[in-house]
Amino acid sequence: MSIDLSRREFIQLGAATAGALAVGQLLPLMVVQAAQEAGMLNTSGDGTIPSMCEMCVWRCGLLAKVRDGRVVKLDGNPDHPHSRGHLCVRGQSGLFNTYDPDRVLHPLIRVGRRGEGRFRRVSWDEALDYTAERMLEIKQTYGPEAMVFSSTHNLSQVQFENLLYAYGSPNYGTQRSLCFNAMIVANLMTYGIEEPERIYDDQLQYIILTGRNLMEAVSTSETGDLSAAIARGAHVVYLDPRFTKTAAKATEWLPIKPGTDLAFHLALLNVIIGEDLYDHAFVTSYTVGFEQLAQEVAAYTPEWAAAITEIDADRIRRIAREFAAAAPHALAHNGWRTSNFINSFQTQRAITILNALIGNWNVTLRAGGGEASGALGTIPQPAYPRSSAQRLDHVPSRFPVVPLKLGVFQELRDSILSGEPYQAHGWFIARQNPVMSLPDRARTLQAFEKMDFIVTVDILVNDTAWFSDVILPEASYLERYDPLNVVGDRAYLRQPVIEPQGEARSALWIYKQLGERLGLGDYFQYTDEQDYINQQLAPLGVSLEDIRSQGYVDLPPSEAGGFEWNTPSGRIELFSDTLARVGFSGVPVWEPPPEPPQGEFYLLTGKVAQSTQFGTQNNQMLHKYADEPRLWLNEGVAADRGLVDGDWVEVSSEVGVGHIRLLVTPAIRPDCVYLTPGFGHLSRGLTTAFGLGASDSALHVTYTDPVSGSQALSQTFVTVRKV
Amino acid sequence: MTHQPNNPRYGFLIDASYCIDCRSCMVACSVENNVPMDSTRIWIKETGITGTYPDLKRFTAPFHCMHCKDPSCVSACTVSALTRNDDGIVSYNQDICIGCRYCVYACPFGVPNYQWDEPLPLVIKCDMCFARLGEGQQPACAATCPTGAIQFGRYEDMLAEAHRKINERPDKYVQHIYGEEENGGTATLYISPVPFEELGFPIAGTTSPAYSNRLVTEGTPMVAGAMLVGLTGVYLTIKHLREEAERDRVEAAKEKAAQSAGEEQ
Repeated sequence: MSIDLSRREFIQLGAATAGALAVGQLLPLMVVQAAQEAGMLNTSGDGTIPSMCEMCVWRCGLLAKVRDGRVVKLDGNPDHPHSRGHLCVRGQSGLFNTYDPDRVLHPLIRVGRRGEGRFRRVSWDEALDYTAERMLEIKQTYGPEAMVFSSTHNLSQVQFENLLYAYGSPNYGTQRSLCFNAMIVANLMTYGIEEPERIYDDQLQYIILTGRNLMEAVSTSETGDLSAAIARGAHVVYLDPRFTKTAAKATEWLPIKPGTDLAFHLALLNVIIGEDLYDHAFVTSYTVGFEQLAQEVAAYTPEWAAAITEIDADRIRRIAREFAAAAPHALAHNGWRTSNFINSFQTQRAITILNALIGNWNVTLRAGGGEASGALGTIPQPAYPRSSAQRLDHVPSRFPVVPLKLGVFQELRDSILSGEPYQAHGWFIARQNPVMSLPDRARTLQAFEKMDFIVTVDILVNDTAWFSDVILPEASYLERYDPLNVVGDRAYLRQPVIEPQGEARSALWIYKQLGERLGLGDYFQYTDEQDYINQQLAPLGVSLEDIRSQGYVDLPPSEAGGFEWNTPSGRIELFSDTLARVGFSGVPVWEPPPEPPQGEFYLLTGKVAQSTQFGTQNNQMLHKYADEPRLWLNEGVAADRGLVDGDWVEVSSEVGVGHIRLLVTPAIRPDCVYLTPGFGHLSRGLTTAFGLGASDSALHVTYTDPVSGSQALSQTFVTVRKV
Repeated sequence: MTHQPNNPRYGFLIDASYCIDCRSCMVACSVENNVPMDSTRIWIKETGITGTYPDLKRFTAPFHCMHCKDPSCVSACTVSALTRNDDGIVSYNQDICIGCRYCVYACPFGVPNYQWDEPLPLVIKCDMCFARLGEGQQPACAATCPTGAIQFGRYEDMLAEAHRKINERPDKYVQHIYGEEENGGTATLYISPVPFEELGFPIAGTTSPAYSNRLVTEGTPMVAGAMLVGLTGVYLTIKHLREEAERDRVEAAKEKAAQSAGEEQ
């Protein structure tokens, strides 16, 4: 009954939206006017506007073709280093994100029970006043720390952080611990930077990809670079328990046993040191801790690793020798998603050290520019209030080397449930879907039940919005400005290519409006989005109008090619004193991962090219061309169990269950199953995605790497039975 | 009878070794051309996963209209809804199409996609993004391909590049350019590390069925003319022979009559 009601309500909202759109197009349009003044659109409103993609976080440059107030096609911008004229499949589908018939275009306040999906349409004033009122009430009653904030990597995140720190909460959840904490923390401990930039030049000869499925986890320029390197004849070693599309392009596919990548890499280090294949000059000049490393890896012979990884010792030895022989034109890619176990931090450390030993710094790896630039102006603001409250994710008390801005999101969720060391009461979520992204979805929903107030900012009624009290409709990436994005020596502009539909508004506007209502107006000293960008541009002596048609501005060139690292020693730390001092091993050390009991499988996830995490399954164009979500099972195992391709199966872990059709394939290890991630949505506001596939987050058990705080996403074991 | 279709002006060179089956080309095509949600102008052909675990292989390639030099679909179209223009682009005019589906059956590559479920069905096929070419842009599929598996340019350049690539790397590519000869030659050219039949490409002859078709359709007037001339000749000959025979018979009769008259005298 309630479902029918809610559906009808959505249909009504959709109809209201269509009306608003029709009226909107008769009004003088700010976006069109600005674009016409910049010479990008002609008097009929036709033309091309440069902006930036947001179908994932790679942020390619795009050229939006606009016809009569509608964006009709997106092309890759040749002037952007991430796109170079191309867009990936998700980037190409961007119109179907903006023009999704399920878009939420008006502020909504819940009227039914949570999760019932019944909302009433309200004005922005009502939605913002109500949200601010509830947030102030929580602050006054329980203190600002009782309000949790979480958001996933986006360009307006800087103002989201501004809002939460100004409000005074230390509790900040990001997607990072669910994704790449192990990689980032390992790089910080070794190089003092979050992620060195990878260089795919003409001389690159040898690449080791540890679960880095670049042909499906497409990052347009890097995927193109890898493809070009393969065409030139570079040797690619690819480790993955699954024969992915990257495996199909690699020189050799190693179906390594899940959780044992660390043993493989320790053995590579063993051979390279034991056979004296490392770059002596580089190691002497630029690293510390070689002796401790050599001592630790002496026992990790290829024969030792072979028994653990199920990869021949001779093959490991050959790969180590070939990798060292190709030095410095060799690259061990960090990777970050496949085969995540609680030992993943050690794996990542071993990979960073493998690179250091062959001296590939400034050849295939270098210090990347990052997303910040000192050349851009900042918005003035007062100092933040000091928060004396402990963070609910136990950073740094339990996770001393995890940076605050990374955090440990799954721990935060568990502290909400336990109420220890204090009870959280409110949750502000922007551009994030923790109901789907956190492991053990049932627990996340229980944590939601503990909340007095939940507000979500998004462009769709995603699964988190579905369980929220207030939904604030954000303008899509084709409808809004964001702060400038620095890539290399340029700052790129995201600008609207169409007027926001309905009443959708930019995040910059939403955070400022809330800030003012919370009495924090001093922290948001910009009149609007364009003023914000002009303040950023001011030190460069240019204005938004000057860069609009080009879509970027050149920054003073930064210095590159140095041999200095932001570590305590100023060198690359093979042995990390920082780790040792807080009780962790200073060099990478073997930690055996747990194995599934008899009759159970490792549950693998991993990307498909046609979707980004949990946010794109409702895109009708991607849905048109993506494969049906399935559970992969090895063909030999299926035959033994009397299962055939297309069978409906029940897949169960200790925390959840899902029903999905089987894909019987030779392309996976017999001890693993793979589930197409991101499906199994709970929100009926997602009319395309609802009912498709099974949820990986419902099955994932929460295991946290004690060093980096990374969720061990491959450490869940499942049973499979026919239904 | 000689019919030499001109070489196309533009061509695609699609290299299966670069295709990662990401389907960016498919989405780009559908968005650019407003392709109905139940249809497509472009597919991925694939070998499927071959071999035995763990020695597995998989190859894919995007597949769309070949833009034949001598297109069977154009030949089969009874109302000229399908035409090949001077640049060699085979395009479709939905305003003329009567929905007979002869093109669907005529195409040896299985390209025209028919809307079976629509009350007013159309044929869906690639037109090389004709509108984009007019704006100086590459076709949507080629422009966006993240790995450069789909290249687009002058036909001669694409053909030369295909030859260069397979000549330089005989270890990598099968020594065949699909589309160079197929169906009389096409503007879309393919090179591949695996035999094309393994990718599911149709085995097409080197002459287009349009050629045989033309033998009949274009030969008819001449054959009819020749027959008219020949039969007229036969008729005239017979007529002439008959007249001669009659004349001979009449004269013989006259002679006989004169002879018998003389005997009586």
